[in-house]
Amino acid sequence: MNEKNIDALEAERDDLHLSLRRREFIGALGGAFAALSSGCGLRPPKEKIVPAADLPEGAVPGRADWYATTCQACPAACGALAKVRDGRPIKLEGNPDHPLSRGGLCARGQASVLDLYDSERFRSPLAGGKPVSWAEADAAVLAALKQAGASGRAVRVLTGTPAGLSAAAALEAFLARWGAKAAVYDPVGHEAILEAHRLTHGRRALPRYHFAQAKVLVGFDADFLGAWLSPVEFTKDWSRNRAPSEEFDLMSWHAQFEARMSPTGANADLRVPLAPEHERPAAALLGRLVADRTGWSGPRPPRASVPERAERALRDAADLLAAAKGRALVVSGSSDVDTQVLVNWTNHMLGAYGATLELSRPALIAQGSRAALSALTAELAAGKVGVLVVHGVNPAYDGPDASAFRAAAAKAGLVVSLAPRRDETAALAGIVAPGHHALESWDDARPGAGVHSLVQPAMAPLFDTRSAAESLLAWAGKPSSAHEHLRGVWRRQVFSRTKAKDFEEFWTESLARGAVTVEAPGLGEGRFDAAAPARVKTPGLSASGFAPVFFHSVAMFDGRQANNPLLQELPDPVTKATWGNCASFAPEDAARLGLVEGRLVRLSAGGASAVLPAHVQPGQAPGTVAAALGYGRTEAGAVAANFPTVKMLPIEKEEGGGADLYALSSAASIAVEVLGGMSALAKSQTQDSLTEPFTGRTRDVLRETSYQEFLMDPRSGNPEAEKGHSLWPGHEYKGHKWAMAVDLSLCTGCSACVVSCYAENNVPIVGKAEVRKSRDMAWLRVDRYYSGDPESPETAFQPMLCQHCDNAPCETVCPVLATVHSSEGLNMQVYNRCVGTRYCANNCPYKVRRFNWFDYAHEDGLKNLQLNPDVVVRTRGVMEKCSFCVQRIYTAKAEAKTAGRTLKGSEVVPACAQSCPAGAIVFGDLNEAGSPAARAAEDPRIYSVLAEIGVGPAVRYRTKVRNKKV
Amino acid sequence: MSATASALREPLIDGDKGYARVTEDVCRIAEGTPAPSWYAGLALSSAALLTGVVLVVHQIWTGIGVWGLNKTVGWSWDITNFVFWVGIGHAGTLISAILFLFRQRWRTSINRSAEAMTIFAVMCAGIFPLIHMGRPWLAYWVMPYPNPMGPLWVNFRSPLLWDVFAISTYFTISAVFWFVGLIPDLATMRDRASGLRKTVLSAASLGWDGSHRTWQHYEMVYLLLAGLATPLVVSVHTIVSFDFATSVIPGWHTTIFPPYFVCGAIFSGFAMVLTLMLVARKVVRLEEYITPRHIDAMCKVILLTSMIVGLAYATELFTSWYSANQYEQFAFLNRIRGPYRGYYATMVFCNAVVPQVFWSQRARRSIPLVFCVSLLVNVGMWMERFVIITTSIHRDYLPSSWAMYHPTYVEVGTFLGSFGLFFTAFLIFCRFLPMIAISEVKGVLDYAKPHHGGKHGH
Repeated sequence: MNEKNIDALEAERDDLHLSLRRREFIGALGGAFAALSSGCGLRPPKEKIVPAADLPEGAVPGRADWYATTCQACPAACGALAKVRDGRPIKLEGNPDHPLSRGGLCARGQASVLDLYDSERFRSPLAGGKPVSWAEADAAVLAALKQAGASGRAVRVLTGTPAGLSAAAALEAFLARWGAKAAVYDPVGHEAILEAHRLTHGRRALPRYHFAQAKVLVGFDADFLGAWLSPVEFTKDWSRNRAPSEEFDLMSWHAQFEARMSPTGANADLRVPLAPEHERPAAALLGRLVADRTGWSGPRPPRASVPERAERALRDAADLLAAAKGRALVVSGSSDVDTQVLVNWTNHMLGAYGATLELSRPALIAQGSRAALSALTAELAAGKVGVLVVHGVNPAYDGPDASAFRAAAAKAGLVVSLAPRRDETAALAGIVAPGHHALESWDDARPGAGVHSLVQPAMAPLFDTRSAAESLLAWAGKPSSAHEHLRGVWRRQVFSRTKAKDFEEFWTESLARGAVTVEAPGLGEGRFDAAAPARVKTPGLSASGFAPVFFHSVAMFDGRQANNPLLQELPDPVTKATWGNCASFAPEDAARLGLVEGRLVRLSAGGASAVLPAHVQPGQAPGTVAAALGYGRTEAGAVAANFPTVKMLPIEKEEGGGADLYALSSAASIAVEVLGGMSALAKSQTQDSLTEPFTGRTRDVLRETSYQEFLMDPRSGNPEAEKGHSLWPGHEYKGHKWAMAVDLSLCTGCSACVVSCYAENNVPIVGKAEVRKSRDMAWLRVDRYYSGDPESPETAFQPMLCQHCDNAPCETVCPVLATVHSSEGLNMQVYNRCVGTRYCANNCPYKVRRFNWFDYAHEDGLKNLQLNPDVVVRTRGVMEKCSFCVQRIYTAKAEAKTAGRTLKGSEVVPACAQSCPAGAIVFGDLNEAGSPAARAAEDPRIYSVLAEIGVGPAVRYRTKVRNKKV
Repeated sequence: MSATASALREPLIDGDKGYARVTEDVCRIAEGTPAPSWYAGLALSSAALLTGVVLVVHQIWTGIGVWGLNKTVGWSWDITNFVFWVGIGHAGTLISAILFLFRQRWRTSINRSAEAMTIFAVMCAGIFPLIHMGRPWLAYWVMPYPNPMGPLWVNFRSPLLWDVFAISTYFTISAVFWFVGLIPDLATMRDRASGLRKTVLSAASLGWDGSHRTWQHYEMVYLLLAGLATPLVVSVHTIVSFDFATSVIPGWHTTIFPPYFVCGAIFSGFAMVLTLMLVARKVVRLEEYITPRHIDAMCKVILLTSMIVGLAYATELFTSWYSANQYEQFAFLNRIRGPYRGYYATMVFCNAVVPQVFWSQRARRSIPLVFCVSLLVNVGMWMERFVIITTSIHRDYLPSSWAMYHPTYVEVGTFLGSFGLFFTAFLIFCRFLPMIAISEVKGVLDYAKPHHGGKHGH
């Protein structure tokens, strides 16, 4: 570089400094890098690269920094580590030090980093839809607040359960200043559990569940491995008893009674389809059966009949539950208080309180009530509300009666929204005071009593937004930065309850760890009201139509992340459908209605209706219709509505992202009308079974055995593969030999690994039309297979990724050596050498290679900030596939080398393994004796998929073991 | 070379022609003004070619996603068309080289056109591996050439690389062989021409003087080239079949493929020669040169190769059953009963059933029937390649990845475009070069025979 250029660049840098703050500058630099790496088509675009002469303290270009924070994608508040590269967060991973989640992070958490770079975020405060300054926005809010006070109209805050102390304190300050009241409403509520505990234990509380303590577990429609309450924590706990051991008889037994096929049901040892109307009778029956076996002397609920199959299963379950007293647990996701009362009763008889679930230190999420929202809606409709501040909820979309809320909100003097991004409720707001994304803000969360989790910013705010706490404090007349406010709250409420001496020390340590646990005052488990079970009424069976089972799915939850393309493209663990919801029917109902997959049906109840494509779901309870909530959002943005993918053929039309079912969700029964049209589901997997058509033979791809057979012979279900003959001595791996073992007994299909892989490896998102053409780009997919009776099938999940074969069939066929074998057993894809013949993909027995059919969307410069600079963004026309996160291997090698030691294989954790809450994925070096990977290779349950072809995969699987106690 | 004259054998050329007449008959096609039908044909075929060009440009500009391929089916129409056209390209060299070595003198009437057809078919074939690449602008990377990237070498283990060599060698030898065969005829035309045409033809005929020495050298070169080209006839499709045979995919991984592909190629090549010749002899009035005897002989080759192909189908089914390999058995059941069963049925019907009519001499001599059969054979052979390529990979080992493939208009149009290229090239060939090997045909005339009756007083 010559003198002049340096001068010019320095001048430019100085200019930049005038206009940008330091972090923003780094962000801009990262953006330039991303643009460079993404734009490498035929020739790189010409851009100036400015040297980062003044870096933030401690920052090293090219080295990632990790910040402990809390995932805010749902109320569960799992611990997360934000990976920050060159000033921008690019990845969220589980925080192993977090007391609840202990390392995993679910699909939505993994995806939430992309929400940060969502183009639909508000970029500044808005008044009447027009950008204004914060001063103007504050003035307008304060004027409205004063006017409300003057005119005698109320000030109301509509909020979800405050996530933590900071939010609660800010809310209180605001309420106190304006004499306002808060309506606390949670879009994903668990009111029935709260209410039932008020009835049975005299305390409206949500227990904390300890699945790790449960040896016998019965679930009623509680998708605790999918999206119920705190799935990462629960998966972690549940999985502890799921890997069978030869030495100790510790494997748990899990029965699930549910209407739809949930990921949890799919993982149960015994799954019984049960329509919602049978749920309360079933819970009553189970309670009575357990009462017989535990010598319950109190009053009992009346007898109720349940279908025969369920009754048999309940008897078996009762036997096992009673035998495991003190280590048994019954959970229910029902929104029916009576059912929950019965479940509490059963748990009480089983001695579960204080053992497998705990009221003494309850969970503190979702404490709100729907009644609060209804009362507020009534107040609004009556025109009594002068100012309504909405924080963290979106009732205009997901409320029990969204249209009524919308109409009522129009009568408020002023609606103020604190939403960080566009949503249906913010669309009604006169003033939008946009909050930060969690990765930009100081905040905290208190998911359970005594558990305090910190949210710390990983970057300076991208836009002119302000933390919600700051806004509330500003309007309360106590302006403070969120940071100071949080520190103050923690000093008073957390620090004081620890043994730490120095606050600064405590604070720094807490920030590094991400969360602290303090002694919460034990409230005791409470006294069980023995009369409660007898007060339960027997329900009348629903008259006609289908019983609705509208659920929160793993990908879409309640729809708050609907504009996140990672989640839209994530196949549902069970249906494998992407980009929209579908109406699932039991096979016998589908046959009766003449439904085939993709046939449009209209679901209607009480004036509301929705049109969805049908889906035939094996294992679903007859007489029910199941569909995921969270789709069909109108104000969430381009992705939620209609993703503009590569538009190739002008005749192709993109369809919107599913239908909104909230209006139907409170109906008792749904009328189903079969329409003439079709809308093919965009599924990533279309063949559901390992049983071949025509021959009826089952493919030996996913090996299973029962726990009982396993105890007699650990190799059961896993016959030794015939050793093939080879003329070739094979590769010699002198240094590392990378390998992976996946435990099929632990994999729940939750798909956290899939999203983690997308985020880590810059895997392109292709959109609905392309997924329909079987062109999803997932490097790692989770195959889901049913076996047995379609009315009540057994389900198994199998993560499938590049198997890094020793004798890789892809390597021999590439004419230009674009895929080659490394000396450490990696099958490496050389993108810039690939000419795209696709021969390798054809010759891959596992079909894990993915081809870039187009230049996939990287026009959104904001989203590009999430791209991992350690991984090339592939151009069109090249093949790509799982690399075993080779960038992580090389980072670990570099770190080891800098530290002057040799790398231990077990130090390398690929993105999929890191995210897995169940710990199903073990990665490491086979040559490192005693490492988990080397030990896994000796496991009697280990096998290679398609060993008979002789390709010698480095990824191996452990047989799935089902506990067939019954 | 002495011709064997037999009273029992009908003459190969009808019309009791003299040498001058042969020269006149063949040259007039290239020298005169083309008939309106030629222009019509050229308009049609060049329109098809243009369609193909536009679609290929669209595809290269936008990405292969405009085709119907997916994560499971990485090749379909593209490689089907490639194998189809390579197969078509087999007949020419077989007719010129192998039949030449076997002294099958009936070949003389058709060998020139068949060779031209071969060259054009191989050109059509070559397009597909080129455009099927994700980054065709880097296609030269498949050639081992000195480069500054290491140097980076090609993968000699890859059958695709073998393809590159096999096809380019075949194309080169076929073109040289064709050109060498053309030299005496070009000289004949040169002697009749004037002006620019004469200049061009003079250069192209390489100073041919028709002397004894020249003829002697010529015959030796031709014989040697025939010897060189003969193994190529077998090797090209053998190597193309290796693309599949060396893979691990059930339905591809089959040792029977080399002979099966070669026979199939000859089968389809002869069918294409018949299709073209039956039209050409009518349009340019060469019925006396391409007589029912020629057609009869080609039908016999078709019948023979049809039976070999049919045997191959049966053997494949037997092998898959006898292998006791679950995946292998399923691959074949899926061909027969799966979603692409219509393609399989068409294939068997067109390739193994329809040609059986050629057991009857009446059928072999019925021009309309032969024409229909030749078309059906080509349809069937295209289906065969589609069945092998697509149905094997659309449902391979892991059911989770099973997928369906449907072509888009781009693939259909590109295939059409390849026909456009083929026919455009062939029509131009008819217009400017002798369609029939004048000098060779003269060698099979009655006049050329030593015991030719003295009727004409020679």
